[in-house]
Amino acid sequence: MSTIAPSSSPPVAATRPASTRGLMARAVRAALAGTPGRLRLATAVSVVACLLFGVLSFVAATSRAAALSDAQTNTSQLVRIQSIRTNLVYADANLTNAFLVGGLEPAAARRAYEQGIGAASQGLAESAANPADAVVLAKVNAVVSRYTGLVETARSNNRLGYPLGAAYLRQATDLLRSDALPPLESLGRTEQERVNHAFDRSATATIWLTIGIVVALIVLIGVQIWLGAWTHRVFNPPLVAATVIVVIVSVVLSSVMVWSQSRARHTRDGAYFLTLELTTTRTDAFDAKSDESLTLINRGNGQVYEAAFQDLAANARVLLADAARRGGADAQAARQAFAAYRATHRQIRAEDDRGSWDQAVKQATGSSAADSNAVFGQFDTASAQALDQQVRRLHEDLRSARAPLTGLAWMALVLGVVAAGAAGAGVMRRLREYR
Amino acid sequence: MRPRTLVTVALGAVSLTIVTACGSGSTPPLPSAAPQATAAEPAAATAPPLPGCSDNNKTSVESFAPGGTLATLAADSATIRKIKRRGRLIVGVSADNLLFGYRNPLTGKLEGFDIDMAKAVAASIFGTATGHVEYVVENFAQRIPDLLAGRVDIVADIMTINCARWGQIDFSTEYYHAGQQVLVRKDAPFADIKQMKGLTVCTAQGSTGSENVKRFPQVKAIQVPDISDCMVRFQEGAVDGIFSDDTVLRGFAEQDPYAKLLPRKLTNEPYGLGMPERDPTFVRYVNALLAQMRNDGAWASIYRKWLGNPPSPPPAVYGRALP
Repeated sequence: MSTIAPSSSPPVAATRPASTRGLMARAVRAALAGTPGRLRLATAVSVVACLLFGVLSFVAATSRAAALSDAQTNTSQLVRIQSIRTNLVYADANLTNAFLVGGLEPAAARRAYEQGIGAASQGLAESAANPADAVVLAKVNAVVSRYTGLVETARSNNRLGYPLGAAYLRQATDLLRSDALPPLESLGRTEQERVNHAFDRSATATIWLTIGIVVALIVLIGVQIWLGAWTHRVFNPPLVAATVIVVIVSVVLSSVMVWSQSRARHTRDGAYFLTLELTTTRTDAFDAKSDESLTLINRGNGQVYEAAFQDLAANARVLLADAARRGGADAQAARQAFAAYRATHRQIRAEDDRGSWDQAVKQATGSSAADSNAVFGQFDTASAQALDQQVRRLHEDLRSARAPLTGLAWMALVLGVVAAGAAGAGVMRRLREYR
Repeated sequence: MRPRTLVTVALGAVSLTIVTACGSGSTPPLPSAAPQATAAEPAAATAPPLPGCSDNNKTSVESFAPGGTLATLAADSATIRKIKRRGRLIVGVSADNLLFGYRNPLTGKLEGFDIDMAKAVAASIFGTATGHVEYVVENFAQRIPDLLAGRVDIVADIMTINCARWGQIDFSTEYYHAGQQVLVRKDAPFADIKQMKGLTVCTAQGSTGSENVKRFPQVKAIQVPDISDCMVRFQEGAVDGIFSDDTVLRGFAEQDPYAKLLPRKLTNEPYGLGMPERDPTFVRYVNALLAQMRNDGAWASIYRKWLGNPPSPPPAVYGRALP
């Protein structure tokens, strides 16, 4: 039976659509024939134009609100990821310092290491909530586990007085630098691209609004002119009402959109830019601090680490100078603290280059206020405060920039429907008169 | 737009810096990008061995005869004059070879047989070693480059005297006689390297072990930057054995109760202090000092301090012609 059905169905399938299509075409032609037809067409066009206006206004406002919200979320994620990296480098630098001193590690250095690892782990857990980054962060998390394992082996060897502990420490540091930091760096770059993309999307949202306004006004005014010429009446009140609604919504929504965009652009060039500068500065500075320890632990063969220090510190200095120029008192304090740290570093290098390695180590690892750790600690505090301030500013600015958008979007949609109703009623009135 | 570009550029520079810091990491003992073991490669860039020198007889350990007193030689040596002006002797040492050159984790200070040899050289120049020694911690592969670059005056780092190295640097007379062995797990079911078919054996880059292991094609040899990285891999179970000097391996075995040395001594490794080729008078000075230390018991007391009852010191062999 099943073989018959397919062979018999093609003629039916072939004739029916053709006849349906023919019928519909005939019906449409009849509906649009003559003056009533043209009026029906005008009705349809004005209704569609008003609805389109409502929908496009809605899309423009909501997509900007979403884009700005994305910019906020991704900036937070960017800052979180950079701070995971900073915390790992901080933990590692303190560990290296503890080994430099020899003997039982200083309790303060151990605490700092644990704080760094704790903060990094917490950051990893929080950031992994973002599904786009979860896979990479899970890998980083696994590397951090292996890292802490190697560190504990290093410590056990150290406690037994075995120099092998230093080899485990070196393995741990290498692992962190080769397997944990690069994925975090590339994730940071991805996050930055996402923020830029979100800001771009926010800017292009205006296009939808512009298209909606232009189409609606051209159609409404065109239909009124045509209707006026044909009926010899200048105004058609419902159509005028629809036009007024469209104009008012356009004016209100456009000005809010222009305001929110200028606010977004201001944030992108201001708070967001400073956030980037400050996170980069902190990453560079922490890397440099860790290079200071690595130069010393490589005793006489650490030239590459000192060269890396110089590059990082120079970069951080340029960024901090710019941030201080734009960013106010906190960034200025961070800049001064970093200059002080650089001076301390110069003293340490001078001691080591003069052959007083012990003296250099003392200053690099000591706990007095003039020693490297304390001086760098001041930079850490000041720059963290400055960064925090910019991130907060960014959130406030973007939140206020998108606050009115969602409400206005719904209002525009509803008023678009109302305008469509009015426009339809206006033309239909002429159609009824014609009958 | 301008500010954003600046940060992009700055971030680019940061990642570049990081890449540079890691990329050039193969030189210092803490290489960030090259921690991976590399398969053993054919002879690294070494100079051709010295003509008339053979590793199979005494010619390899022949050094320059002192031919003068410490005082006259010190006055004649440009290197010693420079060291005195500087106020300190710069010595290339290792920091991870227990008993020879290692950083004592409890004190943070460098200690060992080689460190005491270096101190003896400094003490003979300055009267006391205290405050007159600067250590440069090197891995094996850095010893010759550091000498050639003038970064160190002398290397005291369990360095084997051989003809290939005589082509690049000068050596003192022999001050310790070592040999190479293999370290394996205590429960390993073999008694000799020849039975370790297809197993992985670790050596350090730039060490004689990395060359000598090629005589045993039945094992798979890998190289790492630092010899102590071999021990980390061994403890992680990533390699089955370590091929190195007995001096190094005994230090490792002392830090790991689950390790032992295979009994057969596979090579002879005469240790000498390494110096640059440019000043044979400095080498003669060090040889005069070593001769004195062999006679007055200084060598024996250093030996006793680190290794126990001293045998008679390796004899000095002179006869190398001055350049």
